[in-house]
Amino acid sequence: MNILVLGIGQSLRGDDSVGLETVRLWQAQYPLTAAKVKTEISEIPGIALLDSLAEMDAAILVDAVRSPAPAGTVIRLGPDELVSFTPETAVSHGWGVAETLHLGYAMYPWLVKCRITLFGIVGRNFGLGAPLTPQVRTVILKVAGIVESEIQSLMTDK
Amino acid sequence: MKTIEVPALARVEGEGGLYIGVKDNQVVEIRLDIYEPPRLFEGFLVGRFLQEVPDITSRICGICPVAYQMSSVAALETALGVEIVPQVYALRRLMYCGEYIESHALHIYLLQAPDLLGQPSALDLAAIAPDVVRNALRMKKIGNEILKAIGGRSVHPVNVCVGGFYRWPDASSLKALLPDLEWALEAAKDTVRWSLTLPYPDLEIDYEFVAIHHAEEYALMHGEVLSSTGKKTSVADYEMRYFEEHVQRSNALHGHTANNGTYLVGPLARLNLNHAQLLPAAQAALEDANLKLPLKNPYKSLIARAIELVNFYEEAIQLIKNFYPEGPAHAALTLKAGEGSGMSEAPRGLLYHRYKIDEHGMVKFAKIVPPTAQNLPRIEADLLVLAPKLVNMQQDLATITAEHLVRSYDPCISCATHFLTLRVESME
Repeated sequence: MNILVLGIGQSLRGDDSVGLETVRLWQAQYPLTAAKVKTEISEIPGIALLDSLAEMDAAILVDAVRSPAPAGTVIRLGPDELVSFTPETAVSHGWGVAETLHLGYAMYPWLVKCRITLFGIVGRNFGLGAPLTPQVRTVILKVAGIVESEIQSLMTDK
Repeated sequence: MKTIEVPALARVEGEGGLYIGVKDNQVVEIRLDIYEPPRLFEGFLVGRFLQEVPDITSRICGICPVAYQMSSVAALETALGVEIVPQVYALRRLMYCGEYIESHALHIYLLQAPDLLGQPSALDLAAIAPDVVRNALRMKKIGNEILKAIGGRSVHPVNVCVGGFYRWPDASSLKALLPDLEWALEAAKDTVRWSLTLPYPDLEIDYEFVAIHHAEEYALMHGEVLSSTGKKTSVADYEMRYFEEHVQRSNALHGHTANNGTYLVGPLARLNLNHAQLLPAAQAALEDANLKLPLKNPYKSLIARAIELVNFYEEAIQLIKNFYPEGPAHAALTLKAGEGSGMSEAPRGLLYHRYKIDEHGMVKFAKIVPPTAQNLPRIEADLLVLAPKLVNMQQDLATITAEHLVRSYDPCISCATHFLTLRVESME
């Protein structure tokens, strides 16, 4: 099974870097698993996300999200939820994960066959140059473990 | 009092709003207020080593990182008196081709075309014209692949350094792109033909166009600053003719000429000033288009981008076919105190950098003038021309109409224009 682990974010924008940091930590914590899958740490991939997903059977995405939930809350969106997700704004230049997947599902039938799971970590401070919010920083290790469990589950299910 | 409140412009780099002041049924004031964060880059570059500058400045933009890298190395190489070899220059042009391709394909098809076709977004365009969007994504991807082959990744690519590149990319990985590039060149020619059929709003403005100009090539990195007034300015003298000033109501600096005029940089300026330097396929596309130059309609910058797409696919093919790297990938640097200016044509227009460095190569001063800052007053002026129509429109229509005009500029704050704040106030 071809599995992609993708950390998404912006390293200079506070909590928006949590996806990048989480996947880096997961790589460091689970090097044996990391060697068996494709890993990308991607600053604002935009539509290029679709290129990363090409030829993948499954993908685990980690990204910061905005939500009324407390900072550091981890939200899991599974394949069924992502397929039916409708982005709330039809943005032009800002091709976020939701918009890009929405476009991809419309464009590429193969994408529907890719089991995509998104782990969204609720952020609070996305300011330029800001550090990670403490509540966000404290969940990175936990989410790295969740990512590992997800991969093991995928490998078992194959 | 007539007041139309619209929430803030959303943003990639910042937020902003549009304010229109109306008195006695006349538009008396128009402001595009940009609340984007201050350009901290010029501040935190101070104290950094010069070789960090290309990779730090590339973070200013996710769509045009190469432009920041190229302008910065040009300035720093001037400061050190470094000459780059022709192979390095050719590879830098190839990298720039990749950036133009991915930026222009994105803007033409996924940003501006939906506006012109009455679609709320590219997502809606994809629903009615999936093949068009599918081809656009394939065209854009090739640009990303060029950046990946040279710089390791398409967003914020690495490998560019002062003096050249850290290493030569693998030639075979570049040559493997040729079949897709050949396909894309033909697709780009189709794009030009298609662009001529789009319904552009009527708006003709007498701009002062400004772009880098070179007698023998479609200028990206070498040349002098040419104005459509005929004035030529060397890069060293750029700041004597083109100024930035801080406008109190906005975190974005505004550009203007020495005589306090507005000017336009970007694809319209480049095409109008440099069309004689286009490569043969782009020249043919331009001739077949039967356009009357200069183009003065900001919405028709889409056509200029389409012609540039043809040019840069053709150039990428030529450069890759002739890519046989040999010798060191970068020049040896002798550190010394100095100062240098550099510029290049980002997809959105002229991008200027100036640095001062000390004898250890540490940055003491940095100045970065992006194309968007130079165009902001011009965008406002164009909106002023449009404003009498806007104030008589329903709120939603006025917002979209203003957004479309701003988006045609493809500014680096354009990510904001999906969520424009429009406020019209009657001043009694």
